[in-house]
Amino acid sequence: MEEKEQLLEQMRKAVIEFEEERVKELANKWVELGYDANEAIFEGLAAGMEVVGELFAKNEYFVPEVLMCADALYAGLDILRPHIKAEDKTETKGVVVIGTVEGDVHDIGKNLVKLMFEVAGFEVHDLGKDVPLEKFVEEQLRTDADLVCLSAMMTTTMPGMKKVIEMIRERNPNVKIMIGGAPVSEKTVEMYGADATGKDAASALEEAIKMVSSLREMKRKKEI
Amino acid sequence: MTPKERVMNTLEKGRVDRVPAFSGMGNVTVAGMRKHGIDFASSHTDAELMAKLACSTYELFGFECAVVPFDLCVEAEALGCGVNFYAGKSSILYPTIRSKVLSVGEELSIPEGLLERGRIPLVQEAISRCGERLNGEVAVGSYVLGPFTLAGQLIDLNDLLKSSFKKPEQVKALLEQLVEPLAEIASAYAESGADYITVREMGAPSDVISPRMFKTLVQPYLKELISRIKAPTILHMCGDTNMLVEMLHECGASAISVEQKNDVAATRQKLGEEAVILGNLDAYGVIVKGSPADVEHSVKQAIDAGVDGVMPGCDIWPEVPEENMHALMRAVAKYGAR
Repeated sequence: MEEKEQLLEQMRKAVIEFEEERVKELANKWVELGYDANEAIFEGLAAGMEVVGELFAKNEYFVPEVLMCADALYAGLDILRPHIKAEDKTETKGVVVIGTVEGDVHDIGKNLVKLMFEVAGFEVHDLGKDVPLEKFVEEQLRTDADLVCLSAMMTTTMPGMKKVIEMIRERNPNVKIMIGGAPVSEKTVEMYGADATGKDAASALEEAIKMVSSLREMKRKKEI
Repeated sequence: MTPKERVMNTLEKGRVDRVPAFSGMGNVTVAGMRKHGIDFASSHTDAELMAKLACSTYELFGFECAVVPFDLCVEAEALGCGVNFYAGKSSILYPTIRSKVLSVGEELSIPEGLLERGRIPLVQEAISRCGERLNGEVAVGSYVLGPFTLAGQLIDLNDLLKSSFKKPEQVKALLEQLVEPLAEIASAYAESGADYITVREMGAPSDVISPRMFKTLVQPYLKELISRIKAPTILHMCGDTNMLVEMLHECGASAISVEQKNDVAATRQKLGEEAVILGNLDAYGVIVKGSPADVEHSVKQAIDAGVDGVMPGCDIWPEVPEENMHALMRAVAKYGAR
């Protein structure tokens, strides 16, 4: 196997096995050899995290394991990111505002989705947890975000998302809104008038990319 | 048969005329708040308002219990955490922990006179006022968190979950330490007149940690806690519990309570006729957002699947339509005869 391929394979494996130190070592080696940082982020780190998502879906991994994998991924990302080539930096995939709604202090799911957005090259504005509802509207306007992601971990905080959606739609009907969290289902998306949900961080990202590209398409048509 | 007899006989696997509909968790409604002119934020810090509101769900709809408190911060607050009550907010928000007090590996110091701290005396007062108000006809319930879930209130959840994997011995030492204060608080509630105590271990379903971790890290301390509570107990867990029900049952509570993700018919088969199983209505999707017909259908489904008591799978969201609460009680009367 070519050395590059071998390194990527090792990186994926180290993310999956949450070996943070090993990921750092491999990322440093990658940089030293002068390979493309973006390639390592996507084909190494993110590809490893994708497998982690599958293991989670299959009940082989649970939240603690996924959190440790995310730490390993971040460790690699910190090393690789400063080496991303200038031409790869200019084109962000989109701007995202993300946060957990007021009354809810759970942020694990939100942080995992955020991580996937960062890896994919989105510009992410993280409002944190227990975020007053109006703050989402203000931040969307301030950053002209394409996408707003709302998280709620409890049945008792989920209804706050509906209010945010209404407030955002009133000001800016074209923004895409994604909701997530343990009690959220496809039915909730429909009930609240959101655009999508994802059953895990990886599928949330997939949905987000679809929505943002349709949004860009729409903008381009308007400009023409 | 009074609602209290129905509930207590259910928990003790005695004879009942029909399946009761009650909860081990929060069940206050906006209708109840309106009836008494109480705003939610102030009900957490005033024993009289708390008791009035807790009793109102029975008084308005016949739902067969009064449960206090309404939030999940009481124990953590007594152990030193700051609480946000969202005073002055017009929307319904449950109190949350504002500041964590511990990280894994640090020694927790249990304060002297724990039962005098935070809102524990207030909850005790509310329990006894519920008892007076309901004249012994309706069961009064209260709850404490399970040790693992309480640890999640005291410590950053990221830290707790990762440490559960990396440093299980340190996490175990903390959970062991939390059993005593929780048992003390639960027993104080029982002495104040709580007829049953729910232990809410919602931080540990198999959506979050592996069944293996549940067995080694969570179950031993749940067992120990439950064995020390001198009142009928309900062990509640939300989320996916299908892989855990045997272990939940082994914890020794009078009953287990599960939510809509649980396949109750399968659970009944695994645990046998002697187990008391409560559940498993969708507390938001159906009770709040469904139609009265959906509520009726869900109640029938739960009874057909084999629950001993019809119970929402979580706190009822207070903005529940009044007609749905009525539909719930009508459906229990219609399908629950024994």
